[in-house]
Amino acid sequence: MEELLFGIGISALAGALATIAGAAEDTESDIGSQGDPNSQVQLAPQMGYVHRIYNKAISGEPPAYGLWVALAAGIAWALMAIQFNAVLALVLGSAVAVFVQGVYAVTAYLGRTSSLAKFEQPVYIDLLKSVTSVTMAHAFIAIFTCVTMCFLMIEALGHPFPLPLMGLIWGIALGAAGSATGNPFYGKERQYQKYKFGAGLPISASGDIVRYAEAGQRSSLDNGWFTSKGGGPASGICFGLIVFFELWRTILFEPVANGWGAIIAGVIIILVFMILDRYVESWARKTYGPYPTEEASS
Amino acid sequence: MSALGGGSSGGDGINPTASVIAIVILLVAVGIVYVMYPAALFPLIGVIIGGALIAFGVHFVPVGGAPAAMGQAPGIATGVAMLAAGAGLAGLFGGAWAAHYGLWVALGAGAIGGALLMAITCLMVNVVYVYAMGIPAASGKVEKDPITGDTFPEYKSSGTEGHGLPFISYVGGVIGGLFGGFGGTLIYMEFLAVYEAGLPTVLMATPEEVVPIAVGLAGIFAVGLFLVNAVITAYNITGTIEGPHDPKFKRWPRAVIGAACASAVCGMFAILLVVV
Amino acid sequence: MSVKIEASEGGMPHDKMLGIGLIGALLCLYLTYLNNLMGTDFFAFFGGLAAVAALWWGTDSIKKLCSYGIGTGVPSAGMIALGSGVIAMVFATKLAHISPLLVPIGCVIIAAIIGVVLGFVSDNVLNMNIPVMLRMLTELTVVGSLVMLGFTAMVSGTFTFEGLITGSSSFMGVEMISYGPSVVGGCVLATIFILGGIAIQHPFNACLGPDESWDRTQMCATECGFLSMIGIAVMSLAFLSLAAVIVSLIIAVLGWAWSFNELIKLSKRDAYDWLDAEPIREVGGDS
Repeated sequence: MEELLFGIGISALAGALATIAGAAEDTESDIGSQGDPNSQVQLAPQMGYVHRIYNKAISGEPPAYGLWVALAAGIAWALMAIQFNAVLALVLGSAVAVFVQGVYAVTAYLGRTSSLAKFEQPVYIDLLKSVTSVTMAHAFIAIFTCVTMCFLMIEALGHPFPLPLMGLIWGIALGAAGSATGNPFYGKERQYQKYKFGAGLPISASGDIVRYAEAGQRSSLDNGWFTSKGGGPASGICFGLIVFFELWRTILFEPVANGWGAIIAGVIIILVFMILDRYVESWARKTYGPYPTEEASS
Repeated sequence: MSALGGGSSGGDGINPTASVIAIVILLVAVGIVYVMYPAALFPLIGVIIGGALIAFGVHFVPVGGAPAAMGQAPGIATGVAMLAAGAGLAGLFGGAWAAHYGLWVALGAGAIGGALLMAITCLMVNVVYVYAMGIPAASGKVEKDPITGDTFPEYKSSGTEGHGLPFISYVGGVIGGLFGGFGGTLIYMEFLAVYEAGLPTVLMATPEEVVPIAVGLAGIFAVGLFLVNAVITAYNITGTIEGPHDPKFKRWPRAVIGAACASAVCGMFAILLVVV
Repeated sequence: MSVKIEASEGGMPHDKMLGIGLIGALLCLYLTYLNNLMGTDFFAFFGGLAAVAALWWGTDSIKKLCSYGIGTGVPSAGMIALGSGVIAMVFATKLAHISPLLVPIGCVIIAAIIGVVLGFVSDNVLNMNIPVMLRMLTELTVVGSLVMLGFTAMVSGTFTFEGLITGSSSFMGVEMISYGPSVVGGCVLATIFILGGIAIQHPFNACLGPDESWDRTQMCATECGFLSMIGIAVMSLAFLSLAAVIVSLIIAVLGWAWSFNELIKLSKRDAYDWLDAEPIREVGGDS
């Protein structure tokens, strides 16, 4: 009984850490403008719209976060192997990973912007100085919570994988969940704020991103505030639910029916989410109604 | 991963000569393992089936790429290979944890792990679209949802090719996670079985001592092989797909053949590691 | 609307880069074998230099491949290179008990075989019909396996299978040899795998655009290689003596600082303008 309570307690803690990781991950990728919405930041100068947005083109978020978390986990594992204290090892591992992340961000911005010289897009050094440190800070939160979550899964819950491999797996999952949930919010709502709310972006409008913001010229730093109101918490809840349900159903139900209990519990949870999704979808259709036709629209 | 680049010249048809050569390569790999390490024949076939299932499953996952990030196309706004990798690896996590209960429980746990990640992610994508962006889900490739019968043309904003995740795409995503997690866990379990059986004799150690090596090798090989199969499938899809109702879905046979061939060759080298 | 991938013409011919990268990597890998011959572990950093040479060559291969517009973007090419490269590399390290000198050359041959199969599958079975796909995927698989072998040699000082599976841990002050705290047992291979995977595709992915220039992309590749060396040097604390780690770390940091500085100079040369806290200058007029 005590073991069960301990296991559920650890899954709750891991779920909380995962929620923070997801929220920080999405905020970081929006401040730096990484992932699929970044194609618009790349496209804008080619359509004649010069901007002051940080163009952090480091592959997509899943492999990038796979790298930061796996690197932090690898260094933490190595330090723990020479008898460093576990918490210190996790912090030092995350610090080195964040340094690598910062350097990759700087080279990405310099590389992409210098290659747009034909379209008269300048390199803004003050962006490098102001935004890079902010992305690194958010990335540290995401990386540290994710690596600690992996460490708990191995030490407290007894998973057979070693720490670097766990870091790789959950880093890629973190990037995938955060990217899937947060990208449309940043891409459509923030980059194309001036287009009407409640509709997708017409293809003809590609590249016309918002460059002049609430006061002055938009910098990626403002995206942090925006993301933390919507896309960030949504990504956090997404990744937190994934980690929590994965751990909780295994710890609670696996002893039932010699392992099949956890699988049946998983199927039920998936069906519940499917019903929730169907409800959300029909609510939207009923409440929003169809788009007005060409003649009736203003 | 952004869908940069113009379209490739990948057509829809299947190339019969190339497919036959691929199957021949597969049989040669199986034959080499049969000759050099007969005990590992069934594990290699398991690896091939795992790779084929991964390739088949990834076709179900709705991926919209860069246009989806702006509400211009339906699907999830990430790259194909990496979203599939996220789901499959979360499944691998669950499957490896249940490994001591036996093969079928581990496969079930892996499949459900992958499907659970996709179910939660697809739900949150729809939540963001509906509540944070005010956009209902609509597909651009079909008029009616094959499962629910919802009609799409009037819910599709003008100038776009659809947006969000219609129910068929949601179900496709869950099925894709299911197959991906199943295939990834199958590859891991087969490698683990080969190493736990073969390495003690080669290294002259007890089976318990060899466990960290076996788990480490099987784990990284499963991740690597999963990514190879996912990328082959991404090449087949050429970037974006809406789900099982998308006409591009019909391309799946050639990805399955290609992935089976690649898994056979890579699996052969990973297994022959023990006897070389 | 998607961004078109454009790559520059000019720079060194690809075949020459292949020669320099392949021979350079193999040479540096054989130099790490000095560790075994002399019984020390100071020469581990040559493994990192081998990986830098391979990355320098591989960047051009990814550039040639992705210029044709394969539809999925650049990162997937890096993933397929490393995914197959890791299997080739571990298989090759097993060749060490026939002869340790077989390992680097065996790694290249096995990776080439796997790469040809992957290239054949992608180009012919999947009907992608890209002229250079078979050759470039083969090259990328070889690059992936060399990067992994190089970084593994740097982190542990050896590239033999026996060396990679044994590690030592101290229990109450007594050193014990076991399989758990080793490169394979602790799966440090996973970190090396993704370090290589991102480092292969980042230089071209970050520098692509209409004004991509060969020397800047290659300098970015060198910089990514040395940056990865820094991470690997810190991880080698678990396997090498402190003196060897300090040697590796100093070489990695100096190499990184030099290449990063050069990259900034080249970016300054290529950029349209290098502004500090200036407003947006609209195209064709003042802001």
